[in-house]
Amino acid sequence: MVGVKMATAAAASIRERQTVALKRMLNFNVPHVKNSTGEPVWKVLIYDRFGQDIISPLLSVKELRDMGITLHLLLHSDRDPIPDVPAVYFVMPTEENIDRMCQDLRNQLYESYYLNFISAISRSKLEDIANAALAASAVTQVAKVFDQYLNFITLEDDMFVLCNQNKELVSYRAINRPDITDTEMETVMDTIVDSLFCFFVTLGAVPIIRCSRGTAAEMVAVKLDKKLRENLRDARNSLFTGDTLGAGQFSFQRPLLVLVDRNIDLATPLHHTWTYQALVHDVLDFHLNRVNLEESSGVENSPAGARPKRKNKKSYDLTPVDKFWQKHKGSPFPEVAESVQQELESYRAQEDEVKRLKSIMGLEGEDEGAISMLSDNTAKLTSAVSSLPELLEKKRLIDLHTNVATAVLEHIKARKLDVYFEYEEKIMSKTTLDKSLLDIISDPDAGTPEDKMRLFLIYYISAQQAPSEADLEQYKKALTDAGCNLNPLQYIKQWKAFAKMASAPASYGNTTTKPMGLLSRVMNTGSQFVMEGVKNLVLKQQNLPVTRILDNLMEMKSNPETDDYRYFDPKMLRGNDSSVPRNKNPFQEAIVFVVGGGNYIEYQNLVDYIKGKQGKHILYGCSELFNATQFIKQVKCTLVVCFL
Amino acid sequence: MAVDITLLFRASVKTVKTRNKALGVAVGGGADGSRDELFRRSPRPKSDFSSRAREVISHIGKLRDFLLEHRKDYINAYSHIMSEYGRMTDTERDQIDQDAQTFMRTCSEAIQQLRTQAHKEIHSQQVKEHRSAVLDFIEDYLKRVCKLYSEQRAIRVKRVVDKKRLSKLEPEPRTKTRESVSSEKVSRDPSQDSEEKSVTEEYPEKVPAESQPELGTWGDGKGEDELSPEEIQMFEQENQRLIGEMNSLFDEVRQIEGRVVEISRLQEIFTEKVLQQEAEIDSIHQLVVGATENIKEGNEDIREAIKNNAGFRVWVLFFLVMCSFSLLFLDWYDS
Repeated sequence: MVGVKMATAAAASIRERQTVALKRMLNFNVPHVKNSTGEPVWKVLIYDRFGQDIISPLLSVKELRDMGITLHLLLHSDRDPIPDVPAVYFVMPTEENIDRMCQDLRNQLYESYYLNFISAISRSKLEDIANAALAASAVTQVAKVFDQYLNFITLEDDMFVLCNQNKELVSYRAINRPDITDTEMETVMDTIVDSLFCFFVTLGAVPIIRCSRGTAAEMVAVKLDKKLRENLRDARNSLFTGDTLGAGQFSFQRPLLVLVDRNIDLATPLHHTWTYQALVHDVLDFHLNRVNLEESSGVENSPAGARPKRKNKKSYDLTPVDKFWQKHKGSPFPEVAESVQQELESYRAQEDEVKRLKSIMGLEGEDEGAISMLSDNTAKLTSAVSSLPELLEKKRLIDLHTNVATAVLEHIKARKLDVYFEYEEKIMSKTTLDKSLLDIISDPDAGTPEDKMRLFLIYYISAQQAPSEADLEQYKKALTDAGCNLNPLQYIKQWKAFAKMASAPASYGNTTTKPMGLLSRVMNTGSQFVMEGVKNLVLKQQNLPVTRILDNLMEMKSNPETDDYRYFDPKMLRGNDSSVPRNKNPFQEAIVFVVGGGNYIEYQNLVDYIKGKQGKHILYGCSELFNATQFIKQVKCTLVVCFL
Repeated sequence: MAVDITLLFRASVKTVKTRNKALGVAVGGGADGSRDELFRRSPRPKSDFSSRAREVISHIGKLRDFLLEHRKDYINAYSHIMSEYGRMTDTERDQIDQDAQTFMRTCSEAIQQLRTQAHKEIHSQQVKEHRSAVLDFIEDYLKRVCKLYSEQRAIRVKRVVDKKRLSKLEPEPRTKTRESVSSEKVSRDPSQDSEEKSVTEEYPEKVPAESQPELGTWGDGKGEDELSPEEIQMFEQENQRLIGEMNSLFDEVRQIEGRVVEISRLQEIFTEKVLQQEAEIDSIHQLVVGATENIKEGNEDIREAIKNNAGFRVWVLFFLVMCSFSLLFLDWYDS
């Protein structure tokens, strides 16, 4: 295991590390070696919902099969006894799960049990299991018990989320709600810290922590520092020494963990976006790398009196194996449309090749004296036949992306998202606006009421001074006319009042967007994506607040915004409260974690930022992933009760 | 990284045991415990299915070991120098091939049997799924082992083809010259013979050149009363021509054999695909048949509906006519 990743940096790919850990667990906790003539071993995998969320973005059903898993079942479902089969459990150590496992032991469903707990199990619960095992005389059947420390979900090579199942517990609303009690806050913080701790154990590195003062992020930082410190002190059981570190030992730089709170930047979650992945997340139902589409079976008008067209639900997985997705998830949408067209063209060309071969073969087959010409064609035919699976796979991917992009495009056209995007960019970069805000809000067919609310909130957040009362009343009236609920506005007002101390919370950098007009190449290729009326916008690089903070901290730049960030180093013997970093060198690896929720726009921004720097890696994490709709819903319910 | 807490678990088992003993709760080690053990053992017989599955796997493992063991000998015995060790005759290789094939056939039959049996006995969905997955794994294993075998065999076939091509060039011209000479030295030097053979095997291109001096010596060695120089020359020319013809023929045949091997490989691939599609086509056929049935029934229903509609209309018309007639009648009656 030590020799697995010697050359790559520690923070290079959290996804690979987690996959390796999972595969090892599935292989009965023995490192997995591929052996082409090995005997098949079969086993059954039992997981709970947490385990399912962790495994599903990383391993497909086929890969599970390759590892020898015949059945994968939920812990709390009805399971029949299957004798002579070892069972691998991957669950969280909660009360109900433990009870169910004890029940399984009593009912003796399987031959041997390999218990793996997603995060560390407490001693008392372990004794409960021991009790049940004794009662069922099944102690010998419990073959291995492991703490896996995998309590986080990796979505991309460099992006992770804390949880999906109980995200109400750690949502933005839960943290920022005004009526939260101390104990509840403690629970929330403990959950977050536990997951972050598991993350660093899997990563195999002890980070240097920096966080802003006076926010939830600070609480998380303090707790995490304490937890890491305790673990390091306990030399006997430390998780960060010995061969568990693996590659982390060989990189001399420790990574930097930047903990930020969502409240630094509330405009980004509301922002309308233009890159592919962020659009899919914003507009369609997309979570855990799976997008669910509702396909209507036809585009033509249904004749009067006919039954309404049935919509099929289709879901697609967008995985790292999908090369097109990997290449284009950060590109602006028109580029994506073009690339899909190009892929389609090349696929059709290859298909034609194969078809042509077929016709040639048909001709030659009747001609007896053409054996010599046949030789060339047989070779071609063999290569064509062997490349058929690839072609089919390519076709499937093209279909997938065509459907997804068409769905996104429909939404864009219906809601005029390009207009919103352009406008918001202008607002956030404080260039002059050519259309007044009121116009857009009162425009009846530009977007849903929610879009308008978002636009207005962004305007409100990024305005230097609050608009005058009269203006505000006008806007409010226009918004209510358009059908929006005004609760989020209240919340944002309160937030703005609290955040007054941060002088320029919303300086988003300079950016210009150039509309490329209607006569673009996309139109001329006669593609399916008829982008008339949708402006072809080109993004210029801009740095969101989170990116700027990261830049300052990583490069050790001095900036009034980040100078008074607290500094924690769990490896130091005495924790001191200084905010002067001991280490003056710029960091090579960084992990940005947003407490309170993040989204793909920030992720994409960070990826773009780090692309320009050689040899540096960034991981992005958040306690939950939401898009603007979900964020507004949370904010709607989080009203500060006025005590006046 | 994962932390192994199995030892911790066992320690807690011990703690619980001692605690329970202290509390006086009977656990595991008492009379109840042994009865529990008995009860546990008896209603859980070693599942027939899994023991047979493991048998099949061990068989396949034996086959794989057997193939791997003899693989070196199988392939290696093609070196030019026929050494005494590690040499396998063709008969031995054929034997291996046959054995391997029968073995594979029995294994796949056993798997099929297991499959039918497994689905018969069990009612639980999960167990069925599990068993079919297990059988898939076993089949996959068998396929991988068969691949070993087929790779070996392919190499062997290829070399046999090459060898045949090489070895055929010599005997043809030699038999011809032998026929043309009436009295011949029957007792040929066997060493010369084998030397010629090995020479021709290793240097096929030089065969024509080499056989020439051979023929030359032979031709000279025979009775000069029979052959005049012109005839010798004629024979030589004819020999050359024949050799050239044979060469070209053998070239073509070699090419053809190569093509045929490729074609057969392609055929294999195609048959595989076609068989796969057969199942799909069957299901499509069923669906289509069902669809035609449904359409027929639909037509019937529509026809009936039309009839009913028409009937209804007739009645309505009749009613209206009757009403109008009654009106007329009343009107006439009244006036």
